[in-house]
Amino acid sequence: MSRITSMTFASGLCLLALPALAQTQAVTLNFAGEFAGKPFACTGKAEGIGTTKATVTPTDFRLYVSNVALVRADGTAVPVTLQQDGKWQYRDVALLDFETGAGNCMNGTGETRTVVTGTVPAGQYKGLNLTVGVPFDLNHNDPTLAPSPLNLTSMFWTWQGGYKFIKIDMATGNAPVMPAKADGHSAPMGGDKPVAAGFSVHLGSTACQSPSRTSAPSTCANSNRIDLTFDSFDVTKNVVVFDPAPVLAAVNVEKNTPDTSPGCMAFPKDPECNTVMPKLGLSYGEHKAEAQAFARVR
Amino acid sequence: MRIPVHSLAAAALFAAAGAIPTLKAADGAQPYAWMIPDWLPPPAVPADNPMSEAKVLLGRHLFYDKRLSRDGSMACATCHEQHRAFTDARRVGVAFDGTHGKRNPMGLANVGYLPVLTWANPNLKLLERQALVPMFGDNPVEMGMAGMERQLFERLRADPLYPPMFAAAFPAENGEITLGTLTRALAAFQRTLISANSPYDRFKYGRDPKALSAAAKRGEDLFFSHRLECYHCHSGFNFTDNIRHARSTFTEVGFHNNGLYNLNGKGLYPPGGDGLSEFTGNVEDTGRFRTPSLRNVAVTAPYMHDGSMDTLDEVLDHYSVGGRTIRSGPHQGNGRKSPFRDPLVVGARLSPKERADLKAFLDSLTDADFLSNPRFSNPWTSGANAAPSDRHQKFPVEAKP
Repeated sequence: MSRITSMTFASGLCLLALPALAQTQAVTLNFAGEFAGKPFACTGKAEGIGTTKATVTPTDFRLYVSNVALVRADGTAVPVTLQQDGKWQYRDVALLDFETGAGNCMNGTGETRTVVTGTVPAGQYKGLNLTVGVPFDLNHNDPTLAPSPLNLTSMFWTWQGGYKFIKIDMATGNAPVMPAKADGHSAPMGGDKPVAAGFSVHLGSTACQSPSRTSAPSTCANSNRIDLTFDSFDVTKNVVVFDPAPVLAAVNVEKNTPDTSPGCMAFPKDPECNTVMPKLGLSYGEHKAEAQAFARVR
Repeated sequence: MRIPVHSLAAAALFAAAGAIPTLKAADGAQPYAWMIPDWLPPPAVPADNPMSEAKVLLGRHLFYDKRLSRDGSMACATCHEQHRAFTDARRVGVAFDGTHGKRNPMGLANVGYLPVLTWANPNLKLLERQALVPMFGDNPVEMGMAGMERQLFERLRADPLYPPMFAAAFPAENGEITLGTLTRALAAFQRTLISANSPYDRFKYGRDPKALSAAAKRGEDLFFSHRLECYHCHSGFNFTDNIRHARSTFTEVGFHNNGLYNLNGKGLYPPGGDGLSEFTGNVEDTGRFRTPSLRNVAVTAPYMHDGSMDTLDEVLDHYSVGGRTIRSGPHQGNGRKSPFRDPLVVGARLSPKERADLKAFLDSLTDADFLSNPRFSNPWTSGANAAPSDRHQKFPVEAKP
């Protein structure tokens, strides 16, 4: 009797599940990291950055994207169900990683990642929506137990709680870059200056508050997630290109206001953020958001 | 565009998204024997990190292990020295590479009783999370391990001492060396750093009337008087209005502006040291810092969130006038007139005798046992971790600005 019951139950499940499976199709979205119009590389330099047209040495370029959706002709956004690969993607968040962990990218990982993979219901799509950032419900959990890709210490935004949504680092001027090492025991010490003087763009949520003194944050006044909408995007042909150079166009990357973070790390009252945050499409204090200049479709 | 339907198989690639994992509580864990006096409640312990002797011993080894820093030059203990009640005599923290941080390294005596841990961050509430800041933070850099967690685990696995210690401390996790186990062991050790045997404790809680000098007793009266109002913020057995323990029914948290700065007459603080407002975004939270405990305060100089006061006399000068006045330079301003100063920083002139009495009371909070307790000391007897840090020669305590 119990056998019959369970078989009946199983076939019932199949009836429900089969149509959904039949209409599901795999999708791969392509991304590229660039620096001033050229592919991001852990070797070499990028030229013409910021108000002083500085030559900089890029050292890191990683970001999280989430809420990926394809848009139907009628404007309906259809979420892409991300492949749960145990490495680059977890639930609805994916890590994009343009650094190779070699050359100038001292704190990086060897692997790179330029795609987001998942499924969508079969259909006609004409546009793409996505968010740069980790969704709130994943951003404030215990990072020491978080699954990949939310377990990378270099992406921890520990002081504020949460993750860096964007991590872009560059050495500026003639500052030495700390060499990549398999084991830091032999890193230069003493008179050497092992850490590159440079400019960073680290984006994450700030001004987060808890409902009680013992619980995790429930809101962040500055969520600092960037919603991107591309009305025309063909997944078989187009690529989303991220390039920090236009974001840095109105800031002097060779200078940092004393007593503020090197570059713009999204903390309030950092003059280097006054133009960087608006060009990421985010308001920053009294500085109003502009059209985002970080991502474009090619 | 039209996406072709490939196959039914696509969905099979996708595993169901899992729930957020938590560490399992050890099955049948023995109650932990806190070595504390009867009058003192034990610290509150998170459910997912129960105390055990094995875990505390592991945490103690990790706390004193220089392999937790990028170049092997500093351990947690480098900035948290036992004989200074786990402070380091510097104004601000100094990183492995010599760069300076923003805050005065805090003492760790009774840190397990604090519901919020750092000077200004209301969201750092667990020692397990806080351990990530010095290890992996990059603004400021401290131990410089961001992006190097794999190497860190390899270093620890390579020491034959560690795998059995992790196995004993984390049987439910099969002794795995992960961020989860590493930070939990560090937290468990820090919760044992309990200071409760000062002369004042023996007088007040141990009912030994001879434990305190007459001067210290007069100082106690002053400290708890409405004229000085010290105790409004420095209250309870840990001398702070921030308290949580195993028997508490409420969690108390207090951040206060004590009138250290008043830039431009608008109550501003020097850049990078805004206090609670950095997190709340509320201007009235400017200069609000979490009240530090006064236990062992005589050995934890320099004082204040930025280490800007070298001596207890300077601190008493400041409180006796109800706010510090800086007459020139970029930090010029009268802190007493700050719109954000806590009204309980009242200012009360002290006679020389009263000042001496107050200092005798503060001295009576020094717990010599705590400063030398072998259970809190460096367990490493050989190798790099046994050698004292050379950082004090390399990075001298900087001159006053």
